Amino acid sequence: MKASSFIKPIMLALLGCSLLAAGILLSISFGAADIRMAEVWNAITNPEPTKEQLIVRTLRLPRALGSALIGASLAVAGALMQAVTRNPLASPQIFGINAGASLVVVGSIVLFPFLSPPALVYFAFAGAALGGGLVYSFGSAGGQSPVKLALAGTAVSLLLAALTEGLVVLHDHQTQTVLFWLAGAVDGVSWSDVHTLLPWSLLGLLVAAGISRSMTLLGLGDDVAHGLGQRVQRARLLAGVAVILLAGSSVAVAGPIGFIGLVIPHIVRRMVGSDYRMVIPFAALFGAVLLVYADLASRYISYPFESPVGIVTAALGAPFFLYLIHKGRMASQ
Amino acid sequence: MRLSKAFILLLSVMFLGITVLTGCSSRTTGGTETAGTSTEQPQTTRTVKHELEEITITGTPSRIVVLEFSFIDALASLGISPVGIADDNDPSLIIPEVKQKIGTYTSVGSRYETNLELISSLQPDLIIADLSRHKEIYDKLTKIAPTIVVKSLGADYKSNLEAFPVIAEAVGASDKAKQLISDHQKRMEELKKRIPADEKRTVLPAVASSTGFFAHTNAAYAGSLLEQLGYKDAIQGTEAYPKVTLEQLVTADPDILFIMKSGDKTVIDEWKSNPLWTNLKAVKNGQIHYVERNAWSLSRGLIAAETIADQALQLLYSGSK
Repeated sequence: MKASSFIKPIMLALLGCSLLAAGILLSISFGAADIRMAEVWNAITNPEPTKEQLIVRTLRLPRALGSALIGASLAVAGALMQAVTRNPLASPQIFGINAGASLVVVGSIVLFPFLSPPALVYFAFAGAALGGGLVYSFGSAGGQSPVKLALAGTAVSLLLAALTEGLVVLHDHQTQTVLFWLAGAVDGVSWSDVHTLLPWSLLGLLVAAGISRSMTLLGLGDDVAHGLGQRVQRARLLAGVAVILLAGSSVAVAGPIGFIGLVIPHIVRRMVGSDYRMVIPFAALFGAVLLVYADLASRYISYPFESPVGIVTAALGAPFFLYLIHKGRMASQ
Repeated sequence: MRLSKAFILLLSVMFLGITVLTGCSSRTTGGTETAGTSTEQPQTTRTVKHELEEITITGTPSRIVVLEFSFIDALASLGISPVGIADDNDPSLIIPEVKQKIGTYTSVGSRYETNLELISSLQPDLIIADLSRHKEIYDKLTKIAPTIVVKSLGADYKSNLEAFPVIAEAVGASDKAKQLISDHQKRMEELKKRIPADEKRTVLPAVASSTGFFAHTNAAYAGSLLEQLGYKDAIQGTEAYPKVTLEQLVTADPDILFIMKSGDKTVIDEWKSNPLWTNLKAVKNGQIHYVERNAWSLSRGLIAAETIADQALQLLYSGSK
């Protein structure tokens, strides 16, 4: 009996890993330059400094790995937020984290154009904390409810996005190129971006894994969690820190890519249940899968030119968002 | 849009502006009429067909507001100074070749977010607007003054040249424009003769900023102008300024790169450390030329065209490099 309960997760893990491996392989095989499969394989196994191999190794590989990392980060950030707020609509995008990070990043690009991505990360953290903090304080004033949090999130996100747009409009001729980034894009992710991203993502993912048991208990309600002797506040605080690290570093590198943090946790919970010791790693895995494939699709929207990957995740995620709201309404009736 | 509040505010301000202005403009027309009947010249009336409709313009407009840089170039060529310019509040964006031909003007702010109140406060008798940026506010602009709309943003060399006679017609300088265009074409032919007959190299003008590398294709102004001279743009397409990755740049591998830097820090700083960049034909052959974005992308007109062509030939054949 015990053995059979392991079969499903193992199968799922195998499925996720092979999907991810296939996705990364496809991602480094297809793009603007026409490169033969044999050459792609050589680039990894038998490196030589040819043009084709360099494209694979220095451009496509960091882009694929960066997408995987960002997808994993956003999905786990969303899972943590849904657990802490017990709100099915919680995600970095809807709760103002992405919007806050974007505002501060765009603001710092306008004010300090000499900053490079490793430094922008800290601004993104500050912005993510600002956005999330605003939403949480507005949404929790006078007793928390899922609807209030979602409304506060929408209002704050819109305000922050309006300010960001204002910055872009006022600095039109300098920041018109920022618009592409604002839709969420991974086309320019380089090895140095991966290096920028990696420590923060890993730290965030480790923290998330560390508090996964507490997240499960939070899901049962504060009273139960208290009763079980959980230090609720500490787990919440750690979850908040992890969300800021995960979403902030993602936004600093790739802009505010939406909907992954919303969609993936739901799909994963449907597959593995609501034990967060399972939800967190699977959210990371399938978040990575989703963004790698979305990035692949985005290359073909206006081929050979790039389109922001955010368009693809929005196209997938927006209908899902409506479905969640619809389902919520049915349940409350 | 998320700027709806600001927009409503703008609308109400504009409404106020229009109310004030309708009073003003009727007064001005009255004034010109009396001037026309009492003195030597009768007022001529012309119909001008622009991108959106045909309008009638009476007399010679003297208070012209322009909402794109290419229109300053056009007016400067005709020896006319606009009273108001949407210069994004940065006069340094107007290239010196154009600036020396126009007098002092009032900035009417951003090209993107048109400030109708400022425009109407200048009491213009003609507004020149851009098809892609200002089509939606055409009705509001016509309430301030007669407005012509022509192609500017994202327009190529040919459309820009076609817009010139329309602007000239509106300001009553058609004959002069014909002369200027024929002079310009002669000048371009002369420049073309300086290019070796066996020139087969591909070119790519591009804007590099901190967020990306934006190719100017054969649909963009600089790209189409260079094609007019006989070069081939390395990136072809219908989009004027698509964002390209290093992968695409390597695939296109242009022989000559004209780079317009936007900001001190650009993606090139990062690309430079990649062997793919150093192996680009343009890099290997020392054919990376940094040029002024204001002249090569923003100005777009007869003056700018000759400036771009002069600079390109200077950079490519002066032999000093």
